Amino acid sequence: MQSTEVYLAHLAHLVSLILYIGSLVVWLRSLVKGGRGSDPSVAFGLASLGVLIHVYALIVFTSSYHQLPLTGIGPSLSSLALVIGLALLGTIVFGEGRRVGIVVIPVMIFFETVAVVLGVEPSFEVMDFQGAWFSLHVMMAFVGFGGMTLSFAASSLYVIQLGELNNKRMGRLFQFTPPLATLDRISRVGLVTGFVTFTLALVLGWFWTISFRQSLDQLNPKVMWSIMTWFVFFGVLLTRSLSRMKPQRGAWASVLGFALIVMSYIALRIFVSTRGFFL
Amino acid sequence: MIPVAVVGVSHKTAPVGVRERFSFTNVEALALLESLRDYSGMTEGVILSTCHRTELYMCPGSDFDLLDSAVSALKRKAGDLVGGTDQYLYHYSGLQAAEHLYKVTAGLESLVFGEAEIQGQVKETYDWIRKSSADRPLVGPILNRLFQSALAVGGRVRSETPVGKGAASVASVAVGLARKIFGGLENRTVMILGAGNTAELVVESMERNGISELLVSNRCLGHAQKLASRFSGRAVHFTEMSFSLKEADILVASTSAPYTLVTLEGFRDALGGFREKPLLILDLAIPRDIEAEVGGEPNVFLYNVDDLKEIVDDNLLNRKASIPVAHDIIDESVSSFLDWNQTLEVVPVIKDLRESWDQERRNQLEWLWQKLPNLPEDEREMVSGFSKRLINKLLHEPMSRLKKGVGNGKGEEFLEAVRYLHDIQDLGSENAEDSESDLGLGHSD
Repeated sequence: MQSTEVYLAHLAHLVSLILYIGSLVVWLRSLVKGGRGSDPSVAFGLASLGVLIHVYALIVFTSSYHQLPLTGIGPSLSSLALVIGLALLGTIVFGEGRRVGIVVIPVMIFFETVAVVLGVEPSFEVMDFQGAWFSLHVMMAFVGFGGMTLSFAASSLYVIQLGELNNKRMGRLFQFTPPLATLDRISRVGLVTGFVTFTLALVLGWFWTISFRQSLDQLNPKVMWSIMTWFVFFGVLLTRSLSRMKPQRGAWASVLGFALIVMSYIALRIFVSTRGFFL
Repeated sequence: MIPVAVVGVSHKTAPVGVRERFSFTNVEALALLESLRDYSGMTEGVILSTCHRTELYMCPGSDFDLLDSAVSALKRKAGDLVGGTDQYLYHYSGLQAAEHLYKVTAGLESLVFGEAEIQGQVKETYDWIRKSSADRPLVGPILNRLFQSALAVGGRVRSETPVGKGAASVASVAVGLARKIFGGLENRTVMILGAGNTAELVVESMERNGISELLVSNRCLGHAQKLASRFSGRAVHFTEMSFSLKEADILVASTSAPYTLVTLEGFRDALGGFREKPLLILDLAIPRDIEAEVGGEPNVFLYNVDDLKEIVDDNLLNRKASIPVAHDIIDESVSSFLDWNQTLEVVPVIKDLRESWDQERRNQLEWLWQKLPNLPEDEREMVSGFSKRLINKLLHEPMSRLKKGVGNGKGEEFLEAVRYLHDIQDLGSENAEDSESDLGLGHSD
């Protein structure tokens, strides 16, 4: 019985990944066509279906292994991809703003592919890592990253659209890309939501460490990276607030902030790989 | 030969002063069509009358003088014109007439190449004539098919080619830019400097898109008030222009001033050095009203008339690049219309054949009732129903093959054979318009 469920979980992960890839292909086709026709709706529909199946996959995972998919690199990345996907579904309230999917979906595909390749298998971490506090801490952190990803996607398109407007080009890229005001709003919502939840995640993480480990190892790469990420978040928010006259600065800050977070994570994964518990 | 003809004038053959003389209201169009039907042998007709064209589509029936009658009617409508009326009129018949309507509906003949409004105008005209002449239809099987296929062609050309994509006028480019900056024009304030024609068109277009407030500034306050009242806006004295600039989201400048009205320094002074919300400036004046350096200010998007025209030209170029694909779609549809038209020749033959077989069926039933006088009524009905189904079944396959054969160009040969085998007289195509749907021709392709 359990092997059937495990098989179903793997299959559902694969199907959701295929749907994400399909969605990206349709987004790209829509870009080539200047965003006309039904392609954006089809692409968003495929992504939504992928997210639904992804939810099913992680529910099956949880019921099979009696463990939330928040520990171990495969399940964690899969959950992160799902949180980003849910954030993308939230953009439906912004109308044309859902076209940020063209940037968000590749990020989801990357995380989901790594998860599938490494295997969405349960980890056998000590019980400390499976309690409610820890789960809440990880969930909050993921929502924070989801918000940052959304902000990055909207800001990237903002920079592109600004370039098109300033260079007086009204080609397919201009037609496809949502209005500046919409992108600015999505970026702000993503950033503020992300910052608040990430801050809560850090507080919960600190609380959990003090409760179960009695002390906080400040040289732990995960702790260092988390604190750096919080400062990047803060810096981006500060830049946005201080440069209200120049929203492009805020947009660039979101793009560069996201790049810095991702690159520092990759660097830590490469150079501090011996610390196996890191995400 | 497709029995359709068109005669008309358009922006390609006549200036607006002439075109307006040929313009028809709905009621006038209906009256002329009824008159041509009653006195000139026209079997079907539709008049398409828009700003840029007046065209009379008609099916001549057996009266070959219909075209002359139609031309005379149009000439009467236009009255005396310097140099005569003939120079402005064009006419096409047969396949060319069908092809022309397809091009018109697809926007390939429009003043603004590829514009979509014409599709709606064709549909409205066709619907109106059809409904208004319900008692004695002016739109029969041929024009019905022609207009429906034209609307389908228009839809296909627009969805399968970039013919209608990209703004094609300064006003629509301006609205497009505003949308891409603000997301929508609702709750936006537009300020207009001066009152050029293009600026008015831009404002008109923006008002249609829901701007919340219009400020009009002009050296002559009276002119400003006049324009403001037309758009329910507010006139602003020229000396207060700098102050009002702070409120505006969109500035449309179109004065005839021979010098720059808004310098970088003046702009910065007017805004007090801080502007949080974006400002779209459309400088449509020549010489320009706004100093180019203003465009370098944060949150300011400045476009002059050349920028806008360049965008329009690029879009039109892109639209025109789709002409070959659009023509392929039109050729395919013309060919399909021709095939359908050929199947119309089959209608009288099928009708006669069916009637002849039905007569024979009734004769045989009469004979049977005489032989079986005590047959109960319900059983008689069963036998009668069976005989009808049998005839339908026996005729179905040969009739389908006959229609296909006619569609494939073997029409005359097949029809002759059927007439000979079933002893049917050649009655011509006078019954062609009779209830084609009863015979299933409406779905032949």
